Amino acid sequence: MADQGIHGEDDLVFRRVCALLDPLNHKGVRLTRDIDLVADLEIDSVSVLDVVMDVEDAYDISIPVNTISETKTLGELVDAIHAIKKSQG
Amino acid sequence: MSLFEKFEKTAALYNGLSEMGKNPFAVVMEEVLGPTRALIKGRETVLAGTHNYLGQTFEPKAIAAAKRALDEEGTGTTGSRFANGTFAGHKSLERALADFLGMKYCVVFSTGFVANLGAIAGLLDPAEDVVLIDADCHACIYDGCQLSGAETIRFRHNDPESLDKRLGRLDPKYKGKLVCIEGMYSMYGDIAPVKEFVEVAHRHGAYLLVDEAHSFGVYGEKGRGVAEAEGVMDKIDFYSGTFSKALAAIGGFVASNHPQAEYLRFSSRPYKFTASPSPATIASAHAALDNIAATPALRAKLWDNANRLHAALTQYGLRLAAPPAPVISVLLPTKEEAFAAWNFLIDQGVYVNMAIPPGTPGKESLLRLAVSSAHTNDDIDRLVAAYGAMAEAFPSARVAYAS
Repeated sequence: MADQGIHGEDDLVFRRVCALLDPLNHKGVRLTRDIDLVADLEIDSVSVLDVVMDVEDAYDISIPVNTISETKTLGELVDAIHAIKKSQG
Repeated sequence: MSLFEKFEKTAALYNGLSEMGKNPFAVVMEEVLGPTRALIKGRETVLAGTHNYLGQTFEPKAIAAAKRALDEEGTGTTGSRFANGTFAGHKSLERALADFLGMKYCVVFSTGFVANLGAIAGLLDPAEDVVLIDADCHACIYDGCQLSGAETIRFRHNDPESLDKRLGRLDPKYKGKLVCIEGMYSMYGDIAPVKEFVEVAHRHGAYLLVDEAHSFGVYGEKGRGVAEAEGVMDKIDFYSGTFSKALAAIGGFVASNHPQAEYLRFSSRPYKFTASPSPATIASAHAALDNIAATPALRAKLWDNANRLHAALTQYGLRLAAPPAPVISVLLPTKEEAFAAWNFLIDQGVYVNMAIPPGTPGKESLLRLAVSSAHTNDDIDRLVAAYGAMAEAFPSARVAYAS
């Protein structure tokens, strides 16, 4: 069982990030919290940064590049967004 | 062996390119024949993938100055600017660059990459400052941010509103705010709305650094760059540039009207801990600067060539990334097609740059043509003919295909 963190896969932020990742998911990988964004989805690090920019505009928050480089999995990214939403919202 | 495992995928791609044809990332200029010609794989080739915008690589005055410096000052400084590597030539070039730009202060670094690295990391405090960068900024700006350790926020490319939003929602805890953009972006040859960025940055109390590496000598009435063309030279906080393009040497600089820019000389590790440019390099850069300042015809010729090439490539229906500029990029949907098209051009005796994601701004690959004032009519004719043949052979490079 994958780590569900404090937010599960029915979480709204998780679903929104999945929707943004969908056009890049050429291999049709099932999007779960524990997939590695770069290795499993085979997308480059710049594409991850671009998805994050969409997330920033969707939630009106700023996510530092430093934070993104510390996240590896989709779940970690979603948790980072939640943390920033809480501090900036 | 785990040290090397991470490279295997890239190595396979790199080696695969060599097996498929000539590798654009392993080109050797076997013999340099002039500012726009070299022998590649034994063949005389027109160089249109260099950044010799003002054709200064063989400028006689620059060569004579470099030879004189070699004879009089030796081959190298054997030390950093901070220690024994500052000669009279480094100081006089700093003065000449500041005068050329109409700015008060200038600090010379060992390369353009190191100038941005050194300025950004030297200016920012990781504990209390923040840096906001255009998403399409060069690797050296990203690396400068990373080296600084300061929080780094990207905004959408050439979008002052996107910067405005991000500056507007910043935590008031940050003391210093730095915004980094470029004048002309080298992948597409598109230019920044510098004037709007100045307004947004200053309204939020942020400093603005403009990297004019590709636009120095090329844009503006006096060749000071896009900031001059936009009428905001006096409003730029930090101006960075390189000697390796319009000045045809190697080295970099940061200019400013803030007297505190001089603090970089002790706050910037990439300034303090690397050897300074050799005397010959400084001498040729200085002579080239004097020459381009005194010869506006060079800039006019560059733009004539750029406009002519852009018009011809547009005529062929090729999908171009930006309006006429000294960089003219053709977009291709995949890296395989870009690779094949690059090979097609090299076989026609034309060298351009190939760039593939993630090194490109979008998801597409591109062939980047860099124009020079030294391109002769014969060079331009060859380039036009080669691109015409490529447009025939590669329908995916044309506008009609994409739409």
